[in-house]
Amino acid sequence: MSATDTGGRVSRFGSAVAEGWTRERLGLLGAVALVLVAFAPPFQVYLFTDFLVVALFALGFNLLYGYTGLLSFGHGLFYAGGAYGIAIVLRDLTPVVADVVGAGIAPLVTFALGGVVGLALVVALAVPVGWLSVRLEEIYFALITLAFGMLGYSLIIQDPAGLTNGTDGVIVLLGTVDLGGFSLRIGGRRIYYAISAVTVVAAVYGVWRVVNSPFGTVCKAIRESPDRAAALGIDVSHHRWMTFIVSAAVVGIAGVLRAGLASVASPGLTHWSTSAIAVIATVIGGATYFYGPIVGAFIFLYIRWAISRFPALEAYWELFFGALLIAVVLFFKQGAVGGLLLLRDRLFGDGDADDAGSGGGGARDDGGQATAATDDGAESGDDNARADRGDNS
Amino acid sequence: MVTEDSDTENKYKRADAAETSSERRAPVGRRRFLQAAGAGTAVALAGCSGGGGDGGPVTLGAAYILSGFASLYGEEAERGIEFAVSEINDNGGIDGRDVEVLVRDTEASGDTAIQQIRSLVQEDNVDGLFGLDSSGVAQAVAPQISQLQMPFMITHAATPFVTSPQGEHEDSVGNEYVFRDSNSLAQDVYGAARTAQELDATEWATIGPDYAFGYETWDYFQAYCDGLGVEAEFTAEQFPALATSDYTPFISSILDADPDAVLTPLWGADLTTFIGQAESAGWFDQIDHTLFSVGMGTDLPSDGSPLPEGEYASTRYDPFVPDTEANNSFREAYYEEYGSLPTYNAEGAYRALHLYKEAIESAGSTEPDALVDEFTGMEHSGPVGEYQFTETNQATVSSIWGTVTYDEEWESNVLDPVNRYEAGPDVLSDALGDSDLPTGI
Amino acid sequence: MSLTSLVPLIGIADVVIGLSLGSRLFLIAVGLSLIFGVLGVLNFAHGGFYMLGAYVTLAVVSNVVDNFWVAAVVGALAVGVVGAAIEFSAIRRLYDRVDSDLDQLIVTFGFVLVIHETVRFVWGSGSYSIDPPDVFNFSVTLGGSTFNAYRLVVIGLAVGVLAALWLFITRTYFGSLVRGTSSDREMAAMLGVDVPRLYTGVFFLGSVLAGLGGALSAPLQSTSPALGDQVIIDAFIVVVIGGLGSMSGAFVGAMLIGMMQSLGPQFISAGSIAIPFLAMVIVLLIRPEGLFGGIGE
Repeated sequence: MSATDTGGRVSRFGSAVAEGWTRERLGLLGAVALVLVAFAPPFQVYLFTDFLVVALFALGFNLLYGYTGLLSFGHGLFYAGGAYGIAIVLRDLTPVVADVVGAGIAPLVTFALGGVVGLALVVALAVPVGWLSVRLEEIYFALITLAFGMLGYSLIIQDPAGLTNGTDGVIVLLGTVDLGGFSLRIGGRRIYYAISAVTVVAAVYGVWRVVNSPFGTVCKAIRESPDRAAALGIDVSHHRWMTFIVSAAVVGIAGVLRAGLASVASPGLTHWSTSAIAVIATVIGGATYFYGPIVGAFIFLYIRWAISRFPALEAYWELFFGALLIAVVLFFKQGAVGGLLLLRDRLFGDGDADDAGSGGGGARDDGGQATAATDDGAESGDDNARADRGDNS
Repeated sequence: MVTEDSDTENKYKRADAAETSSERRAPVGRRRFLQAAGAGTAVALAGCSGGGGDGGPVTLGAAYILSGFASLYGEEAERGIEFAVSEINDNGGIDGRDVEVLVRDTEASGDTAIQQIRSLVQEDNVDGLFGLDSSGVAQAVAPQISQLQMPFMITHAATPFVTSPQGEHEDSVGNEYVFRDSNSLAQDVYGAARTAQELDATEWATIGPDYAFGYETWDYFQAYCDGLGVEAEFTAEQFPALATSDYTPFISSILDADPDAVLTPLWGADLTTFIGQAESAGWFDQIDHTLFSVGMGTDLPSDGSPLPEGEYASTRYDPFVPDTEANNSFREAYYEEYGSLPTYNAEGAYRALHLYKEAIESAGSTEPDALVDEFTGMEHSGPVGEYQFTETNQATVSSIWGTVTYDEEWESNVLDPVNRYEAGPDVLSDALGDSDLPTGI
Repeated sequence: MSLTSLVPLIGIADVVIGLSLGSRLFLIAVGLSLIFGVLGVLNFAHGGFYMLGAYVTLAVVSNVVDNFWVAAVVGALAVGVVGAAIEFSAIRRLYDRVDSDLDQLIVTFGFVLVIHETVRFVWGSGSYSIDPPDVFNFSVTLGGSTFNAYRLVVIGLAVGVLAALWLFITRTYFGSLVRGTSSDREMAAMLGVDVPRLYTGVFFLGSVLAGLGGALSAPLQSTSPALGDQVIIDAFIVVVIGGLGSMSGAFVGAMLIGMMQSLGPQFISAGSIAIPFLAMVIVLLIRPEGLFGGIGE
């Protein structure tokens, strides 16, 4: 990349930002917002980090559901896989790593190592589980993934080889990095937020690339009509399997982050009720949109938090979300993102001049959240790869 | 008959399990108490709102199980809190300031507990924390407490590992911020082993919940029996999941092994479910002795007191022993207010508030580190007796075991005859013998 | 964790317990299976129905009339009404959708949450117990092991329900409609069958069965809001193994799982919960239609 090329890119970027509500402008705003969040009160930082992790979980799940038409009720298995992977590494390998790289930087190295191990574990699991599961369709796929998830749950509870500590889970202690007088607590709210934000943004970008690649197009083709896809020469099973693995990997990354956030890796992560969170968030957000799961996760977490401010209601948040889920599926399958897009269209007439991409238009996710200082349109690139489903809205 | 709270206005009808066929109790009406929400997830008790600040009220945060199988424990704690709060505020408060307590539901989950505790510290700016029922939760929470740098007075959760300094054992998570004002599992099970010494049972079994508390109870029991020279063979063990609704297969399995005696740390609604089903299966006819290591926690509130007479149970606090002015007046006043004898969860919570009062008044401030200094090595006395905090921040409360007997006067089960076993650090480490289990004291 | 005893003995009580566990599972599973077989809907909320049946029964016994049988019938019917209402208001809108299966699953899952919270709202989060009806509330000791006589009643009722259902499906007009419609909905509609009404009727029946299961189980297990979630997973396992849509499959599967739950703690205290899930996975892979696949068989 020569200097002039870079210069040219920067100026193109700059003019794009200046031009109006373009992808670039939104991307920049998003990045600024992410940085600003780091300065919010500690609990808000924590809450936002929680949102990022759940958003990634849902996003990974939706790769399989929204894009490929496979509803998994067992994705918690990979969530737990990532969490336990890093938790066990942190618990058992920290001294070893400290011997190798010195006690100062050890916590960070172990954390990174744990993340890699967690991801590897998840992929290793996803290969056989995915291969077996994609043989089945629709309800049966949901059932077998449910079964695998609960199988994982019951195995983790048995504390195999003394690794998982049964029902109580593995405590996660992130440690402090000491570098020449400068010390950083990895588990500190803002540091951990920074780590999570970077990871999640990267992962989201990765998923976005996958979805907008030929690979992603094949997924959608398979979802629309497996038979037609097969007739075109696509190995449907194989492709689903690959998608499954990618989906699991993304969820695994979320799981790794979850461990550090919750400070404990517990078997509940692979229980079907946790897998259900991805389902709820995605459906409410709008499974047919790339950002649907992210918006859904936002709604899930922030409405829960808002409700928790009112003790009388807080106990019944499940009722609220159950009803919302039903309403969305019955009446408004596009979910929240669909609603927001409709709103935008109504308010602003046609879409913006800078539309690029498959008919979705630049998504201006206002979110309508005046109070929360957060921005969920923060991810780079704003195309809603709108994947139309054949059914009625 | 179905047993339930008939107060129809209370949205959360607190339900307790059935009466057993052998004991028929007249349900004593419960005082509804200050639950702003039906759930009581975030309840401000007897105080004005606003965080603790100079001149404003002292705000403490409490985390208990308010829902699910052990919700009764949380309820009991809330009673103790309410009782203490009005007692303290009616008598000049803490250094002239009112005290208020925000209570949160841990849902028996480490994840939730940590979140709630963080919220209490960072959003509600509490001056101190106390509570916890579940051992598993306490073990997960303890490391977080030292990061939050806030004193935490555990009032019930019994795992010895939270008062065993980090490094002593691979599972130890004790640190300078975590204290416990009630007796630990290590002390409690010591009493069980001492009780076992007196019994002529040789084959022992256990049925306990499938988590730290269940396993640790059995591990410690075996270690103590070994160290004390109790002749015992350990022939069967079952660990059903928490909140199991049907214990029958597990009960059946133990009965098939036909032990002489069984030690069970089942607690909360699980215990009441278990007892009903065990009776149906003829457990109490077949098994000579059953030791309920936390039996008296849910037993005393008279809506259902199913511990069968003649069996053994322990308690972390007994309303009649020691026979002191402090204990007697506490018991009387509590009974008058709530219509039932105080359980150990109520008393532990009650005493936590008094501990904070004393610490804050001695230190002259609510600075966390100042409070930690006060608590360290503190000597205190309350209804449970006189005790002090050892160097591992554990209170030297004795282990109390007795025989379950129904008391007509108080309309409730009590322990009579009852034994108090002093369970200090030396006693416990002797009794543990060669075991590498920490004394937690 | 270790083996509980080195010489496991299967007492008669263990068998009776296993069969009674299986009987309760059968009642919820057969309803689930029926609904799936005819409507193609996998009703996640079926566990909630079971739980609701137990709660309504308890409520009736304590507040209205102290007769367990009456209360159980009321409980079952009440749940049937709830189920029919759910089918009518929500699920009905989904039949014509392209990917109706998944949508239905998600909607019924929404009802899981709603039912769970409603139960918690009305009855609190503690647990209830009830004694078996007095006439059966005694212990039977056979071959050295003891069990409550009421368990035999539950087993008998389950068998009775199976027989009644079989007769109903194979011998009555409604039953033939059910069989016909399940194999081809459009054809049935063209032949004049009022399919929507039939569907509601079947959903009603399936829900009644679940509610009955819950009602009959109330004396044998503690009833708490956690019950629905616990039981639906077992029900899924049973219908997968037995065959979605098969009544006899539901029966055999339920008894199998019931026995596994009863004997599990004896033989392998560790890992006993994993086995049903493993079985579920294997059956789904090898023979997704289950042991008995198909309706009315």
